[in-house]
Amino acid sequence: MNDMRHVERTVRVDTTKITARDVQVFYGDTHAIRNVSVDIPDKTVTAFIGPSGCGKSTFLRCLNRMNDTISVARVEGRIEIDGEDIYDRRVDPVQLRAKVGMVFQKPNPFPKSIYDNVAYGPRIHGLARDRADLDGIVEKALRRAALWAEVKDRLSAAGTGLSGGQQQRLCIARAVATSPEVLLMDEPCSALDPIATDQVENLIHELRENYSVVIVTHSMSQASRVSQKTAYFHLGELVEYGETGQIFTNPQDERTENYITGRIG
Amino acid sequence: MQVSFILLSLAAIGALAFVTARHRAIASVGGDARRLHSLPIYYGLNGSIMALVPALALLVAWMLVQPLFLDGAIRSDLSDSVLPEGSAMGLVVSDVRRVAEGLESGPLAQSFIAGDFADATPEEVGRMLVRGGTALGAPLTRPVLDAAMEYRTTSRTLRWIMGIAVLAVAVIGAAVAIHRSEGSYRARNVVETGMLGLLMVSASIAILTTLGIVMSMLFETANFFSQYPFTRFFFNTTWQPSFSGRGGASELGILPLLWGTLYISLIALIVAVPIGLFSAIYLSEYAGRAFRSVAKPTIEILAGIPTIVYGLFALITVGPLLRDAIASPLGLGNSASSVMTAGLVMGIMLIPFVSSLSDDIINAVPQAMRDGSLGLGATKSETIRMVIVPAALPGIVGAVLLAASRAIGETMIVVLGAGAAARLDLNPFEAMTTVTVKIVSQLTGDTDFNSPETLVAFALGLTLFVITLGLNVLALFIVRKYREQYE
Repeated sequence: MNDMRHVERTVRVDTTKITARDVQVFYGDTHAIRNVSVDIPDKTVTAFIGPSGCGKSTFLRCLNRMNDTISVARVEGRIEIDGEDIYDRRVDPVQLRAKVGMVFQKPNPFPKSIYDNVAYGPRIHGLARDRADLDGIVEKALRRAALWAEVKDRLSAAGTGLSGGQQQRLCIARAVATSPEVLLMDEPCSALDPIATDQVENLIHELRENYSVVIVTHSMSQASRVSQKTAYFHLGELVEYGETGQIFTNPQDERTENYITGRIG
Repeated sequence: MQVSFILLSLAAIGALAFVTARHRAIASVGGDARRLHSLPIYYGLNGSIMALVPALALLVAWMLVQPLFLDGAIRSDLSDSVLPEGSAMGLVVSDVRRVAEGLESGPLAQSFIAGDFADATPEEVGRMLVRGGTALGAPLTRPVLDAAMEYRTTSRTLRWIMGIAVLAVAVIGAAVAIHRSEGSYRARNVVETGMLGLLMVSASIAILTTLGIVMSMLFETANFFSQYPFTRFFFNTTWQPSFSGRGGASELGILPLLWGTLYISLIALIVAVPIGLFSAIYLSEYAGRAFRSVAKPTIEILAGIPTIVYGLFALITVGPLLRDAIASPLGLGNSASSVMTAGLVMGIMLIPFVSSLSDDIINAVPQAMRDGSLGLGATKSETIRMVIVPAALPGIVGAVLLAASRAIGETMIVVLGAGAAARLDLNPFEAMTTVTVKIVSQLTGDTDFNSPETLVAFALGLTLFVITLGLNVLALFIVRKYREQYE
């Protein structure tokens, strides 16, 4: 934790993007998330940290209803995005996921060309008027993911042929191509080397301009580098939530302090 | 010496070698098994292997070589002068062998050994042998009987020598192994080599059998093409074999049969591929655990039904139904056996092949692919159509080609469903037939084995083999080429 660049701690926009109240998640008989309430601001990077199995990924997957795809999972409580309850019966989870993009732990490009990977979301949601429009969307997404320069000459090559770091940036490009409002990242750098990690972290900084980014990470130095807000989860509970600088320098809860100073976890 | 007696003795020697070698190894380290190089059981196994493997190898080799040697001996004994007029040497030799076997083990064996036949004429012995169940090619003559007696004596002597040699080899092997069984001997490594040898022998038996099948087909096919022109077989559009008695030359063109095979297989695949694939998708992506655990075995039961039962279903149910419901009203024919009948029923038979293989392949697509697609806001069916099926496509193609191989090789359903009339026709409600059915009909019945009408079966079989081999190679190639796309 030598690299404590606590950059841009101040939250520029005060509007709240996601509001969670008393969220409970059950996997069958297991109570995975207990009473989590949190307000995630817009145009901010929020980091979820905590030991393995503490429920941070589970909570992340509640935010775009990916837990719906697991038949034994059950979510209670209230989660709102822009004041709208996403677990309301009128909300189509498929539409929701277009608005709340997700990047996974392991790069998972489809076995298609680079172009088709990025164009996947826009095609499904009919975002492009014609081919030229789609080309534009793909280029913009790849540029935003800082991948354009590397792949612009081989857009028809297989996405699976890229290096690990490139694949993860391709997945980020794929997620931003549908112009989501929130981007969820589940340990996006855990399968990457330090150089690729650095590239993805720089990317997260830039994405903050347009999106509300929520990132789950095991690396506390990463959380301190990229995020403005940090939430510490422990055994399914949200222990502490606040400004990243404050969590890392002056934690209020003993459990948070133990984790951050390396005494546990 | 009886072979069964030799095998029993070998088993006893092997067991004894096991016990002794193990015991000696333990004794050599003063009863402390931890000081042995290998576990005690390896010393025992080493003893058994050393005793049995060389002995069994000798036994097998001997039994392969002995008949060849004896045949050679008979041939040199029987000079050409004793040959009955117009008969070939090979026939006489096999007569000698049969007579010898009849004397050795037939019902006459006891009285023969007692010397009852010393004065009997060859004709009388021959009659008695025939009564005892021995088939003879020609009336028994004195030289043949003499040769048979000679054959019998030599063969008995050789058997005895073989038994003694085999048992001696076993005992020597066991002694060597037991002598070596001491604490520092690496028995475990020897047993490891023995395992490797066993596996290699098994693998080579499978390969050699395939080679043997191909070779026998090749020889008979070459024989056929020496009697029937190559071009007429492949390019003639009529199939009209003429059997002895009917007279006239045969027309043996493969095209109508090939057409029937491909037509029926095509219909079968049109039925089986969509149904099989869709049921696989339903089972792997949508069905709940409980339903899946019932439905998957149920579908797989279809694969366990013997094809003759499918054939009966085609003959009794599907054929008449199609004729009465579709073919007759539309004026497309009034035959209960039709390409459509066989194709439909064969398609039903193939459903479990396609669905079971595709199900495994779809399940092998990583969950990360599904998450990735769903996370972008795709629906389940969009995910399946645009990500999962493309990712699983090589495997699905492989499954379809395997099903096609089965369809091409199928016989019973065709006989009962589509009839046996060779015809080049587009109407799917006409009776047609396939290559496999004709192979059966050419080889069964009372026919001269050396005529083109019979030998054509081998040419048909080889053609079929080449086609299915080609399909299998194509399937393997496709699966290999695209296999690791998602990793």
